[in-house]
Amino acid sequence: MTTCIQAKNVGLTFRPKNREPVTALNDFSLEVGQGEFVSIVGPSGCGKSTFLNILLGLIKPDTGLMQLNGARITGPGQDRAMVFQEFGLLPWRTVLANVELGLELKGVEFSIRRHRATELINMAGLAGFENHYPHELSGGMKQRVGLARALATDPEVLLMDEPFAALDAQTRDLMQAELLQVWDRTKKTVIFVTHSIEEAAYLSDRVVIMSARPGRIKQIIKVQLPRPRDYEMRLSPEFNDLKSRIWDVLKEELIDKK
Amino acid sequence: MTTLKSFYNEKEPYILGIGFIALLILIWESTPLWLTLPRGMALFFTTPSKIAGAFYRLLINGEIEKHSYVSAVAFLVGLGLSILVGLPLGLVMGRSRTLDALLDPYVTALNATPRIVWLPLLILWFGIGIWSKIVIVFAGAVFPMLINTYVGVKNVDRVLVNVVRSFGANEWQVMKVVVLPNSLPYIIAGLRLAIGRAILGVVVGEFFGSSKGLGYMIASAATNYKVDVVFVGVAIFMGFSLILTMSVKSLESRLATWRPEATKTF
Repeated sequence: MTTCIQAKNVGLTFRPKNREPVTALNDFSLEVGQGEFVSIVGPSGCGKSTFLNILLGLIKPDTGLMQLNGARITGPGQDRAMVFQEFGLLPWRTVLANVELGLELKGVEFSIRRHRATELINMAGLAGFENHYPHELSGGMKQRVGLARALATDPEVLLMDEPFAALDAQTRDLMQAELLQVWDRTKKTVIFVTHSIEEAAYLSDRVVIMSARPGRIKQIIKVQLPRPRDYEMRLSPEFNDLKSRIWDVLKEELIDKK
Repeated sequence: MTTLKSFYNEKEPYILGIGFIALLILIWESTPLWLTLPRGMALFFTTPSKIAGAFYRLLINGEIEKHSYVSAVAFLVGLGLSILVGLPLGLVMGRSRTLDALLDPYVTALNATPRIVWLPLLILWFGIGIWSKIVIVFAGAVFPMLINTYVGVKNVDRVLVNVVRSFGANEWQVMKVVVLPNSLPYIIAGLRLAIGRAILGVVVGEFFGSSKGLGYMIASAATNYKVDVVFVGVAIFMGFSLILTMSVKSLESRLATWRPEATKTF
């Protein structure tokens, strides 16, 4: 498998005014292959989101190297797109205009971007809602818009920052299944940050478990479950075994530090 | 009977609102019939019918047109300039720390000073013609415009800015796609304040050192005890302000179709 993302000894310390500096990431190294689905779990404030933001190019690390296909990441780019936790939809834009955002900023011609956005809206199961505003949609539909928007620019890497955390349990299960289908079809490299062990185990090729602050990698667990995965798999003893293995590693971090 | 009742239920706020105005006008009009005012006070008293008569007279002889035109020009040019200056300045001050630090002392000091204190100086500099009024209107209206835009920009949703930046937007695109639409409710509120200040500027500017305009018409009528003419001027200002407030409201509701609920504003 060719390497897509490479993080070498990445470190970042936030220095807010009038407050103690916070080390968000410390000596963080990770390699992710092309088309791989990697989840990151860890205690709150362990730097999971910081890692995504560095990958996205919104923050620069203090130390270390962050590379995409062998080139250092210097800023945001069309080869990466993020799906945000609270959806991050522009409330004054319709579903269609929200999905078009990335293409519009890229300067893609109107008719082409409209065509592409419509395609993705249909794929996301949002047909008929093109002219709705975000406040008229349910949480699950909002995140479908978020996913369609991220996919619209056809990025190589999809970054997902607890994308389903704000959804109810059933919608969440549904969205996970849909995400796996999309991933299977588009072959994107996915970095998926979550608090849910079950979600990480169900979706991923590998699960990265981070330590409490300062964030570093504690252990990486390979998920051996076959694909395509379905909901019934979650009831299997193998799946439960995997979950408890992840939990055992994570538990020490949660209990030690609190 | 039922149709009348349902008609009433449907239009109750309007019927009550208009009915109460009509009642008050009737009481005012009939005051001389049941109350004898002392001579001194009667001089300063007028009735709606006399005001309407004065209005008609002034309309026919072109006085209203002449004065309204001068006031409207001062208002529109002054307000227009304040939007052209206040809005962009508020946007860049909200986004750039350097410009904020550079300009903030002036904005704070000038905004804290009552605009009227500049009037004598403005009359000396710009004369008693229209320019001194335009400048005083501008001075009153530019700050609510600027400050509200600034606050709107400062309150921009950081997540949304990051969303747009993550798609590779430059600063200009961030401004256009997130900052400006996100600040629009603040800007509209600023515009409402600015309109109020601009009308105040027109009136005050024309009260002192002027030879034309509705403010001048009111002030000179008052010195000549023409109370009905004073009321005509007041009524014109009232009508003008109402029309403007309603226009801003309709602009507001047209721009806010994406928002979940509308709140009642005055």
